[in-house]
Amino acid sequence: MIFNSIAFFVFIGIFFPLYFALKGRARLFLCLLASYFFYGWWDERFLALVAFSTCVDYFVGLKLDNTEDQPTRKKLLIASMVVNLGFLSVFKYFNFFIKSFQEMLLGFGYDGSMHSLKIILPVGISFYTFQSMSYTIDVYRKEIAVEKDFIRFSTFISFFPQLVAGPIVRASDFLPQFQKDREFSWDRVTAGTGQIIWGFFKKVAVADSLAPFVDQCFQAPETFGSLHLLIGVIFYSFQIYCDFSGYSDIAIGLARIMGFDFPDNFKKPYFSRNYSEFWTRWHISLSSWLRDYLYIPLGGNRGGTFASWFILLVFMILTVFLTGWWWLAVIYVLSSIGTYFYMQKSDYNNKNAFNYMNLMNTMLLGGLWHGASWAFVFWGFLHGSYQVVQRLAGPIWNKFLDAIRTPKFFKDMLAMGLVYASTCFAWIYFRAPDFDIASQVISGIASLEAFNFGSVINKFWVIKGVMVIGILLFVEILDVRFTLWKVIQSNPAFRILSFVLLLWAIAFFGSFGANSFIYFQF
Amino acid sequence: MKKLYWVFIVIILFFAGDRLFGWVLKQLTEKSQFRYSRLYQGEAAADILLVGNSRGLIFYQPHIEKITGKKTLNISYNGMPIDLAEVLVKDYLEKYPAPKQMILDVSMCDRLNKSLISGFNLYTPYSPRMYDLVHQNDTTGAIAGKIFHIYRYNSEIFQRSMFYLNKTDEDWLLDRVINDAMVTGITNYKPDTIKIVHRDTIRPEDRKERLFKNIVSNLTSSRNGEVEYVKGVMEHLAATVEFAKSKGVDVQLVINPYYPPYLDKLVNLDQLKAEAEKATGMKVHDYSNSVKDRAGFGDYQHLNKAGSMIFLDKLMADGILKK
Repeated sequence: MIFNSIAFFVFIGIFFPLYFALKGRARLFLCLLASYFFYGWWDERFLALVAFSTCVDYFVGLKLDNTEDQPTRKKLLIASMVVNLGFLSVFKYFNFFIKSFQEMLLGFGYDGSMHSLKIILPVGISFYTFQSMSYTIDVYRKEIAVEKDFIRFSTFISFFPQLVAGPIVRASDFLPQFQKDREFSWDRVTAGTGQIIWGFFKKVAVADSLAPFVDQCFQAPETFGSLHLLIGVIFYSFQIYCDFSGYSDIAIGLARIMGFDFPDNFKKPYFSRNYSEFWTRWHISLSSWLRDYLYIPLGGNRGGTFASWFILLVFMILTVFLTGWWWLAVIYVLSSIGTYFYMQKSDYNNKNAFNYMNLMNTMLLGGLWHGASWAFVFWGFLHGSYQVVQRLAGPIWNKFLDAIRTPKFFKDMLAMGLVYASTCFAWIYFRAPDFDIASQVISGIASLEAFNFGSVINKFWVIKGVMVIGILLFVEILDVRFTLWKVIQSNPAFRILSFVLLLWAIAFFGSFGANSFIYFQF
Repeated sequence: MKKLYWVFIVIILFFAGDRLFGWVLKQLTEKSQFRYSRLYQGEAAADILLVGNSRGLIFYQPHIEKITGKKTLNISYNGMPIDLAEVLVKDYLEKYPAPKQMILDVSMCDRLNKSLISGFNLYTPYSPRMYDLVHQNDTTGAIAGKIFHIYRYNSEIFQRSMFYLNKTDEDWLLDRVINDAMVTGITNYKPDTIKIVHRDTIRPEDRKERLFKNIVSNLTSSRNGEVEYVKGVMEHLAATVEFAKSKGVDVQLVINPYYPPYLDKLVNLDQLKAEAEKATGMKVHDYSNSVKDRAGFGDYQHLNKAGSMIFLDKLMADGILKK
């Protein structure tokens, strides 16, 4: 069931009165039942997966709580990881690995035809798998207490507002909130409703309005001029932002009405002045998950482990064989030699080298998390590279700007522009169905052929796109400058006015084809 | 209880504003010089009616009016399906004296286009027939347009009507030459098949959808039932031609030019032509290969201004267009 469908409005129309009418365990049962109904609406077969994953982590959690024996605890953790990542591998990555392996064999001159499986990708599997895994890891690390109530634990894993596209909520943040009944509160209802309406505006008025123009650009880029393609890429940057953050807003708003507080998942990411900041503003729940469960265990910025080298090496070997980019192998070998000699020089450089490697590994795996495709891995590689380059060249760049006495405002605008432009470049690989199309889009823009508005086809989509993006940025800038949401929350007149204005904007600009959310595929 | 008052205030304000803005947008639509606004405002009387999708827009009105000396109305639109054209033609013929000629490009029978039909929601207050069509293709949209008036104006069609608020739309034509990438790219182009939707090939899921829509529509509105979504494209074409003929209109069916290397990739154009001839009992004049010069094309499927002149002069010379 998707949020922007009539079925969902009927669903919450029945759910909310029942939710507030019930108390205690009855309410918990209702939440669990509603969540399974919500998820089963797509395909009832998916329910078995989420139920199995829930059972495994619940029982592993109990076992971890019952034993202090470290080897046993480790085995239990590994068992949970194998089941969770095993499901993810089979349902999301199996055919990708088979195809990649076949291509690798072909590269060596062997015809390795193998069977692929006809598997449906269960909606949101990456989200609930990560949420479930984080619980087990936290229990293993003794950072949280084990949850002994099966119904409460099942509801935590399958909670419908954030089940299929996040935010990925940590057990330490969420499970304690189930401890007591949440009372009905008008303040929460109005705050949650405001966030839901804003989320719908982002999804149906912005993202879905931009989608047709973007789809057209990436379907046949050779038919369009330079400016047309550039607009397509800019529109995609806003489409994906509004599609995903719109979903998060609706999810957080629904939870808020129910009495739960979820952390923000997006904080105006295109206002970032550097790449590290970007990843503290974009898909925060995933980037913090990767930081806590991957980047830091790999050594973070303190140093490295064998895994740091090994993961990067595997990625590089696979990429070289599958893409035929031998220059990448040369770069890798040269940088490895360089890094080795640097490491010999001082402890400081040793740490830095590993830090870059850990960053790159995290971004590569983050890219792969999004989907079974080398384009996503390359997208991760680009973001990893941006961060490494920023750390290497950032101090020199800042010194340069200081030397020419650039005013802070211009410095910030320049930094935002650079981060936004390079993020858009990476989005091309994220959106394009394959590397050929991505190259066509990039070369089409770079050719500067037909770089005039007259050559843009479907100008009316462009006009509408510019209008909705204008409204979005206007509201976001107001929020940055005057903390708009706080003003709206504190003043009933402003609140009513903002609700009404947003509803009009949705009615006037919205696309109501019940288009699915992009992040469902992840 | 006091909090509930705020909810009512939001609802009342929303609907009051919706009615007010809806009224303003309606006035603007009626003032527009856009072809459909003129059609429904009684300002579009013509001697020659031109019908097609984006390929029909190459019926360049200033040139036709120059060579024939007659007034024209081109109701073509990008991606226009034949069921929408049927409604527009019937509405036109009922509202105005019959034109002397109607020229229809049958290559528009290559699709059914629900989303474009939804965009014509803004003209439903003027035509029960249009309301039926929108309702049958986008039930939710049609009902939403009745409840929320500004929703009717949420479409590209409305934006275009605003673009032509104070200027004519009769002299627009693609003004570019097909680019090198497309010319070289055609060699790698896969063979293209025109999708001819038949009454018996409508997808089962559409049938299910239709059943649901029929139930909803019977419950929610009165329909005059004239336009049937269940029809295939050829039945709509036949109905359009038959209606025009019954009003005494000289109907001419044509296939407008394609870029020749692209035409070679079109595998079933002859089938489309044969089916159109069978359905209407009329000859289809095939001009698909009548313009050969690359400079006459804007892309694979559309002539530019220069190509359009060549094509229209041929129509005149062959007696399809008459003085």
